[in-house]
Amino acid sequence: MDTALSAIVEGLLRGGVYALIALGVVVVFKASKVLNLMVGGLMVFFTFLLWWLAEEKDLPVGAAVVLTFIAAVAVGLFIYRFLMQPVIGATMLVTFIMTIVLGLSVILGISMLWFGGSAQVMPSIFRPTGNLDWGGVTFPRLYLVSFIVATGMFLLFVAYFRYTKTGLLMRCVSEDNIISQSLGINVKRIYAIAWIVGCLSAAIGGILMGSMSAVSTDMGFFAMARALPVLLLGGLESLPGAYIGAMIIGVAESLGSTYIDPHVTGFSELLPFILMLTILLIRPQGLFGLKIIRRI
Amino acid sequence: MLPGGVFNTKYESDMAIFRTKTHWLMLAVLLAFVFTFPLHGSDYWLSWFIRVFVTIVVVLGLHILTGLCGQVSIGHAAFLGVGAYTVAILTTKYDWNGWVCLPLSMLAAGVVGLIFGLPCFRLRLFYLAIATMAASSIIKWCFQHFEGVTGGFIGLSLEPLTLGGKELISRGSMFFLCGIMVVVVTFLVKNIQRSSTGRAFIAIRDNELAAEVSGIPIFRYKMYAFFIGCLFAGLAGWLWAYTQLRVNPEQFSMLDSMWYLGMIIIGGWGSVTGVFFGVVFLRVLEVIITDHLAPYLADTFPSIAMQIHISLSLILWGLVIVLFMMFQQRGLYYLLEKAKIYYRLHPYSYWG
Repeated sequence: MDTALSAIVEGLLRGGVYALIALGVVVVFKASKVLNLMVGGLMVFFTFLLWWLAEEKDLPVGAAVVLTFIAAVAVGLFIYRFLMQPVIGATMLVTFIMTIVLGLSVILGISMLWFGGSAQVMPSIFRPTGNLDWGGVTFPRLYLVSFIVATGMFLLFVAYFRYTKTGLLMRCVSEDNIISQSLGINVKRIYAIAWIVGCLSAAIGGILMGSMSAVSTDMGFFAMARALPVLLLGGLESLPGAYIGAMIIGVAESLGSTYIDPHVTGFSELLPFILMLTILLIRPQGLFGLKIIRRI
Repeated sequence: MLPGGVFNTKYESDMAIFRTKTHWLMLAVLLAFVFTFPLHGSDYWLSWFIRVFVTIVVVLGLHILTGLCGQVSIGHAAFLGVGAYTVAILTTKYDWNGWVCLPLSMLAAGVVGLIFGLPCFRLRLFYLAIATMAASSIIKWCFQHFEGVTGGFIGLSLEPLTLGGKELISRGSMFFLCGIMVVVVTFLVKNIQRSSTGRAFIAIRDNELAAEVSGIPIFRYKMYAFFIGCLFAGLAGWLWAYTQLRVNPEQFSMLDSMWYLGMIIIGGWGSVTGVFFGVVFLRVLEVIITDHLAPYLADTFPSIAMQIHISLSLILWGLVIVLFMMFQQRGLYYLLEKAKIYYRLHPYSYWG
């Protein structure tokens, strides 16, 4: 019983980080209808950047984190201005292929070239480490911290979209960008903000995930293999959907690795995909996505 | 567009794959050049051509699925893997003849493609593309973890193919085999493209709703596209297994599927000539990068030589695809057409 409970708790805690990664993709998708498949590559890049600043350049960890965030904002602006703005209004296919190629080959390749391809240990940001024990349920302290940070950031972003004027404008643009533009909303600025949020959430998610395991280039594929099922499970347009989807995937993965992996090696890697395919076959728009009605 | 003075007077001549005498002449010269190549070519370029041929076969399959029918698949390398593993398993574990395995590996890839194509019944665009990505991961996982059959992470080694008691082990013989397959597959794809099935595919790609209203059973035709596309992937897998004589899971990663998609984009959507352009373009780029640019840069910056060798082709291939997507979405084939029209109407050329 305790193992089951531990597995569920661990899954929920990991799910928080997946939710944060998925958030960046959802925000960009809601604003500009671009599925940001760069998220895996960006995570690898920012995590390696933090490691490089802290270990190779001997900066204090706090300064390194701040610099990484500044870099995330800069990269977000760069991606939007020079890569995404030229293809505004292109078909979804164009942006889809662009983002996946950028993420899985160009950004990944640049990180390999700059930081070397080998796996590294993340400088410890969150102290103390070790395990926590809550009435028989044990889990790494790091997971709890990550969960709190991830959920905090998630709520912060959600509150930003709900209660500020920019958030209101953003919801406007996601409804219909042409009408928004004719009403005088600066749509390009909104897109830029969406990309910045996308990059920031990738950076934070990457740092948290890098602290949980190691910093390596495999993290990009790993993040994609988790974030995409989370997104499609929850529905591409829904922020709460992304959170709940992340919890489902996290728990399924950790239950799978506790109970199925001893019999079938490595099955938990596959579980998110199988879960996603089954749910998509039953509800093609995901659990909380918008059902698009086709009119003739 | 036809050259000046040439008119289609019969339906057959309108539908013909090669419409003018010049086309036939060019084809003959090209085939003569390619098939006499083993007589004077070096081993290096022979193996380059073999790689190009195998890639053309698999990209022609993807061309039917993505270029014609519009169903984006980023898992095509996995279907290639199914074909390659089928022949590897049947010949090593059960001692089957390699030639008997040819239709079987095609069929295996086709059936696996059908299974993972099933979601296209309800999913479209992003959702379907991500579903094929899931398919790719699931298939690769099966290669890695069913150790008893697939040899796990190490993979399997094959015996060379035999024909009439002789082993086809030299580069030249594999070159001929792959070359013949390319010609056959190109002919088949060209014919599919101009049949009613091909027109249905194009209708589905251009406007699914309009196609449905016109009475095309969409689901059935999408499944056809998946089946045919994966059939050719299986054939390419069979060739792959015999050219490499070794299969392992790392050869069929999602990155390769992405390159196949990139080749279609660079060549130009929906044209067989475009597929040839795209494959040759990226393969030439590969030669330039790995054999000339990377060693040069590695000599110039010796401290990061290792990283340059790993990452340079990733960065440059990716950048080329992205630049094509940004500035020339219709690919090289469209550029060729534009040039042809320009010279055909030479003094009075005009385009908007």
